[in-house]
Amino acid sequence: MNKLKSVIGFTFANKVKNRAFLVTTIIFIVIISILVNLPYLIQLFSGDDKKAESTHIGLIVGNQTEIATQLEKYAAQPEAGFTIKKYANSASPDVKKDIEDKKISGYVEFKDTTVGDFPVVTFVKKGDGQDTALLAKLQSALQIVKTQIITKGSLNDTQIAALNQPVDLDAERYTGSANSPGSDEGKGKQNFANYLFVSLLILIFWMTILTTGNMISSEVTSEKSSRIMEILITSVSPLTQMFGKIIGMFLIGLLQISIFIAVGILNALLPYNRTALADYDINLSQLDLSVLFYGLLFYVMGYLLYATLYAAVGSMVSRTEDLGQAVMPLTMINMASFYIGSFSASNPNTMLVKIASYVPFTSPVSMLLRIGLGEVSALEIAMSLLILAVSIFFFGWLSAKIYRTGVLLYGKRPSWKEIRKAMQAYKI
Amino acid sequence: MTQPLVINQLYKQFGDKTAVNGISLDVNEGEIYGLLGGNGAGKTTTMRMVLGIIYPDGGRIEYHGKGYNAELQQGMGYLPEERGLYPKIKVSDQIKYLGQLRGMKAKDADESLKYWLNRFGVPEYYDKKIEELSKGNQQKMGFIAAVVHRPKILILDEAFSGLDPVNVELLKETVRELRDEGTSILFSTHRMEHVEELCQRITILHKSNPVVQGDIREIKKRYPREQVVLHTTGPVHGLENLAGITKVDQVERGYLLHIADVAAARSALQLAMQQTDVEHFEIMEPTLNQIFIQEVGESNE
Repeated sequence: MNKLKSVIGFTFANKVKNRAFLVTTIIFIVIISILVNLPYLIQLFSGDDKKAESTHIGLIVGNQTEIATQLEKYAAQPEAGFTIKKYANSASPDVKKDIEDKKISGYVEFKDTTVGDFPVVTFVKKGDGQDTALLAKLQSALQIVKTQIITKGSLNDTQIAALNQPVDLDAERYTGSANSPGSDEGKGKQNFANYLFVSLLILIFWMTILTTGNMISSEVTSEKSSRIMEILITSVSPLTQMFGKIIGMFLIGLLQISIFIAVGILNALLPYNRTALADYDINLSQLDLSVLFYGLLFYVMGYLLYATLYAAVGSMVSRTEDLGQAVMPLTMINMASFYIGSFSASNPNTMLVKIASYVPFTSPVSMLLRIGLGEVSALEIAMSLLILAVSIFFFGWLSAKIYRTGVLLYGKRPSWKEIRKAMQAYKI
Repeated sequence: MTQPLVINQLYKQFGDKTAVNGISLDVNEGEIYGLLGGNGAGKTTTMRMVLGIIYPDGGRIEYHGKGYNAELQQGMGYLPEERGLYPKIKVSDQIKYLGQLRGMKAKDADESLKYWLNRFGVPEYYDKKIEELSKGNQQKMGFIAAVVHRPKILILDEAFSGLDPVNVELLKETVRELRDEGTSILFSTHRMEHVEELCQRITILHKSNPVVQGDIREIKKRYPREQVVLHTTGPVHGLENLAGITKVDQVERGYLLHIADVAAARSALQLAMQQTDVEHFEIMEPTLNQIFIQEVGESNE
């Protein structure tokens, strides 16, 4: 037991002190911080744009005085996003001069043709490209003006405002029977915040399994190639060694995950971010924390499954250069599990995801997806966990055997047949 | 008093190949036992079986009268032939770790490591990484890793290969010191001179079979003394005509006589003394090297 502790401590301490580990962790912290701050940053930059657009635009009154007055009145409001300078007609030298001097960025002109009692409007702008944001603002401004002109005072301002308010169309998911666990939260499940949350969890857990798994196999291989393995194996039983390493690396993964999640939450809690996130309809209180719990559970089990196999693969390879090729199949399976999960994120109830959520190698991602975004019953979760647990024991047992044999085999990467022969020779 | 290490009719097969074929030996407390053999003779396999890394197919190994058990790991030290330590980790960190794996407390391991670093006159390596050290010094660190926990049974596989003469002497001295403290040492090498200096008893393995075994002096007695070294101030004539002398080689400071029987040595000395002054006269024992080549060479044919 003491030895196991020593192996865990040594594995942990060396990885934490490792510069590569520190650098990757910091990089991820920066990426996560940027991601969480993104809504605010976007707002910040678009805020700048708004200020820029507040510069004048010209309005050629022509013979549409009524529209012009209404539009001018609308533009006087601060939320309009633009201000107006009136000109008598487009031929006026003032228009030309003001455009050249950049006093106005363009001008609005009314054509003689009408569509439904309202003239066709053109926005003439100097230079290339169209400012879609400004056009959208003009469009809605003109829409309001049009409503006012057509109703001609038969409606008051509040009624007009209500008329112009777009219909609020919300998509909600039908949840069948009342006793499925998804039914209570079902309402909030498809919201953007939850979608983001589950995707982030899947990404973090999957990434951690991939990186820590690879670290395990490369550690084992480097111990073999530096030949310290022979000393280790005479000091500690291979099983203690393997599980010490797996647990040590697990703690590393857990540390990383907690750092990432803590960074994410801290950033999200910053006051300016809270309002920014609220604008995007992301509210932390909507998040379903049971997803986090299940996510961790599936992460731990998925990690154990992959980690034992990564250790076994690492033990078969004598040189670090050969490792990449040897872990390829494992990495492929791992990748597949992630892609099944991420491509199905918007549609988590497909047959593919359902099947994948029972297959031990893909279930950690797929089941988390179903729990987080789809429909799943407690029984299904339990089944998936049971299958996963059984496979952990099976592959753990197999890996321990391979590890025990592999660490003594040097030279080229052994074939399965050679490993089986070696197992018999070593009486494992 | 049971012996620390008794190997009885050990047998190991890898696939079709017999790696070790019926080796028996025993190591006393405070003894350095030499295991000799060419490449692939089965030395490392024997050692690995003693260490419990691989299980024998036949035969038995007893440690202080008992079979292999997990507690033994704390009382054994091992310096593998292909020595290795973590290249990128500080000497202090990894040797303390290895000591802890051998059941030491971190503090004791630290003290022991410091003692050994001082013993080798390199206390400054405490904070160095292995990859920063020269190969010879890495090997010293490997040796420290093998003895840091003061093992009762120490297994050294080619302990001196790749070291300069100064370091070989230093390590030899240390090995003798450990022996005098009561450590049982199983020592493998293919450098015969080291064995002659350190070991009392040896086993020569050849192609998985033990071919010569026992006390070095007795082994040597079994082989005829065939050479006489004769250093003289002046030339000696007629040596080749003496009875029993098969061949005379002229060497730098005298002659090397090959004799068929020890009596011839006496007549050669007399002849030399009649003609000139004798500086050095010695009836050579067969060296282990010669015995080894003779044994291994013969069975090669």
